[in-house]
Amino acid sequence: MKMNNKKNIILEEYENEFSYKKSKTNLDIQFNRIAFIFFVFLVISVIYSIQLLHLGSLKEENTKEFSTINKNYRADILDRNGNYLVKTVKSIDIGINPIEVIDKKKLLINLQLIFPDKNYEEITKKLEKNKFFYLEKKISSDNYEKIMLLGDKSIKSEEKLTRIYPQKNLFSHIIGQIDDDNKGISGLEKSFNEKLKQTNEPLKLTVDTDIQFLIREELVKFQSIFRSKGSTAILMNVNNGEIISMVSYPDFDLNKREKIVDLNFINRATKGVYELGSVFKTFTVAAGLEEGLIDTDTEFLNLEKKLQCGKSSISEYDNKIPSDLTVEQILIRSGNIGSVRIGQKLEIIKLKAFLEKIGILSKINFDIEEVGEPIPFKWGKCKLATVSFGHGITTTPLQLAKAYAIISNGGFAIEPSLIKKELKDPEKERRIIKAGISEKINPILRKIVNTKEGTAGLVNIEGYEVGGKTGTAQKTIVGGYSKAKVNTFAGIFPTSKPKYVLIVLLDEPKTSSDYVYEYKNKKGSYKGTPFNTAGWTSVEVAGKIIEKIGPILATKHIEN
Amino acid sequence: MKQLVLAVIFVLILITSLIKTSTKEIEDQIFIVKENIRPLKSELEDALLEFNYLSSPEKLVQYQTQYFEKDLIKIEIMNIKEIIKNNETLEIKDLISKNENEQ
Repeated sequence: MKMNNKKNIILEEYENEFSYKKSKTNLDIQFNRIAFIFFVFLVISVIYSIQLLHLGSLKEENTKEFSTINKNYRADILDRNGNYLVKTVKSIDIGINPIEVIDKKKLLINLQLIFPDKNYEEITKKLEKNKFFYLEKKISSDNYEKIMLLGDKSIKSEEKLTRIYPQKNLFSHIIGQIDDDNKGISGLEKSFNEKLKQTNEPLKLTVDTDIQFLIREELVKFQSIFRSKGSTAILMNVNNGEIISMVSYPDFDLNKREKIVDLNFINRATKGVYELGSVFKTFTVAAGLEEGLIDTDTEFLNLEKKLQCGKSSISEYDNKIPSDLTVEQILIRSGNIGSVRIGQKLEIIKLKAFLEKIGILSKINFDIEEVGEPIPFKWGKCKLATVSFGHGITTTPLQLAKAYAIISNGGFAIEPSLIKKELKDPEKERRIIKAGISEKINPILRKIVNTKEGTAGLVNIEGYEVGGKTGTAQKTIVGGYSKAKVNTFAGIFPTSKPKYVLIVLLDEPKTSSDYVYEYKNKKGSYKGTPFNTAGWTSVEVAGKIIEKIGPILATKHIEN
Repeated sequence: MKQLVLAVIFVLILITSLIKTSTKEIEDQIFIVKENIRPLKSELEDALLEFNYLSSPEKLVQYQTQYFEKDLIKIEIMNIKEIIKNNETLEIKDLISKNENEQ
C-alpha cells in the first residue's frame, strides 16, 4: 500500500521586515564609547585624587590624633625671654597588682633595696588584700629603671602628665590654677584652657621673670615694714600695653595645688576695685586740657580751703596750700579744691566722656577673667566735685595703668596684654587724646617727683626721669569710710619719652617707726614714717623697685 | 583630538603617581628625621627646664648670699658705660646722659 505521504508544504511568503538602517536617534555609539572610557578614567583619576588628598591630609590628622590621645596635655607657658613659667612633664606612677605576684617575700626584699624608706608593714598588708595599689607616684628615672629591671609581672607602670611651675609663687595670679582633671580654673590656665589643650606650641607671655622677681621681692620686704594687708605692682610698656610685670601679694605656690579660699589672695592688680584718690587729678587736668578749657598756666584765684557739698565737706589735705594756684601747681601740690574747680569747668558730660575714653569707668577686657568691675554710681553736682579729686569713684590698678599709659604716650589707645604679639608702632594706632596733651602732662608729673612742692620726691632716682602722681584714699565701707587707707603711686618713666608705667598700690599700710628713709631731693635721712600717705609709703616702694629694675630695663633691650 | 586628551590624562596620572612615589620616599625620610628629633627636643626641653630652675632669680639670690656676698656690688645706672663701634674706633659713652637742666 502506497501511502501518499506527500505533504504539501506551502511556503508562505515571508516578508522580512528587518532592514538595517542607521539609527535615527542622535546617539553616537562611537562617541559614547570614548565617553565611557573617559568616564572610567575620570572615575579612576577621582579615586586617585581622593587618595592623594587623603595622604596629604594625614599630617593634620596626626596632630588631631595627638591632642585626642593626650587628653591631659597642655601647652607650656614661657616668659618674654623664653624661660619656662609652666611646663608639662611626663611622670610615671608605679603600682602593684598583688594577684600577679609570684613570690611576695622576694618582691619585698627587692623593693626594700630600691625604696629603703618606705613603710613595708603597710605594703605587706596591701599585698595581702589582693587589690591594686600605687607603690610610688612620680618615680625618679633611676628608680624606674631599677624597678623595671626586676622583671616582675605584678609591677605596673602608668604614664601621666604633670604641670610644674619652676618659678613657684612668682606668677601665681597670672598663670592661675588647674583642677585635678587638668582643666584651668583661674588665670591664663582658665582663659586659654582650650588653646593650651589644642596647640603644641608654647604660649609666650610679655612678662619678664627677673623683673617680676625683683618687684615681688620689694613688695614682700615692704609688706613687713608697712604691715599692709596686701599690695600690688604693675609695670607696663606705655606704647604697646605689654605687661612686663604684674605682682599681687600675698600669692601662693602653684606647685602645691592648694584650694585658695582666703579673699586676701585675690589678684589685686586686676580684680581689686579701689577708690584711688588723688591719682585721678591727672585725669581731671588732662580732660580740661583736652577740651581746651584750661592750660597748664591757667590761674585759679581765691581758692577756698573748704567746700560744702550737701552733707559732706571737701577740704585741702595741706592747709598751707596757697589760695592762688595755676593748673600745674594744682597737680603738683595735689590741690583738692583746685581740682574741683577744674571739674566744675568741665561739667559732668565732658569729664565722664574723658574717663570713659581712657577706660576707667567700665570693666576692662583682659587676658585673664579675674577682672573687677568699677562700682557704678549716679553722677550729680557733688559727685562731679568728688570725682575731680578721685573720691567716690573706683577702678582697678590695671585700668589705672592703662589710663596713665594713654595720657603719657601721646594719647594713643593701648590695651594691656599678657600675651606676646608682634610689636605695634603706636603712631600707626588710634589716637584718642589730642596731640600735645602728653607733652603738657608729662613735665608736670616729673615736677611732682623732682620739686620740693611735689608729693613723690622719694622716687626721684637719678638717671630714670621718673614722673608720677600719688593717691591716698580711705577705704570705703558700707555707708562711709573706714580709717584704713589705700596708698597708690602711678608713675611713668622716663618722662622725656615715656616707655613704662609703674603702679604701686599698698592695701591698708601702717606707719613704721623704724624704717629709715634716704632723701632723694636733698641730703640726709629720716627715721620713721611721719604720715600714712602714699608719698611716704607706696612712693618709697616704687623708688626701691625702679632702683632695682632700672638697670635691667636700660640695658637688656626689653623692647625685643 | 579626543585620543590626545586621553593620552594626556593618562600621562598626567602616570607622572603624578611617579612624583607621589618619589615624595613618599622623601616623606619617609622626613618622618625618620622627625622621629629622631623628637627625643632630642624632649631632652633639650628638660635641660632648659633644669637650667631655668637653677638660674631662676630666687636661686641666683641664694647663690649670691651663699658664695658672693661681698663680691657682687650694685652699680648705679649713671656709672654704666656703653661701647659704640665707629668704623674702626671704639667710643665709650655714658649709657644715661645726665641732663643738666633736670637735676
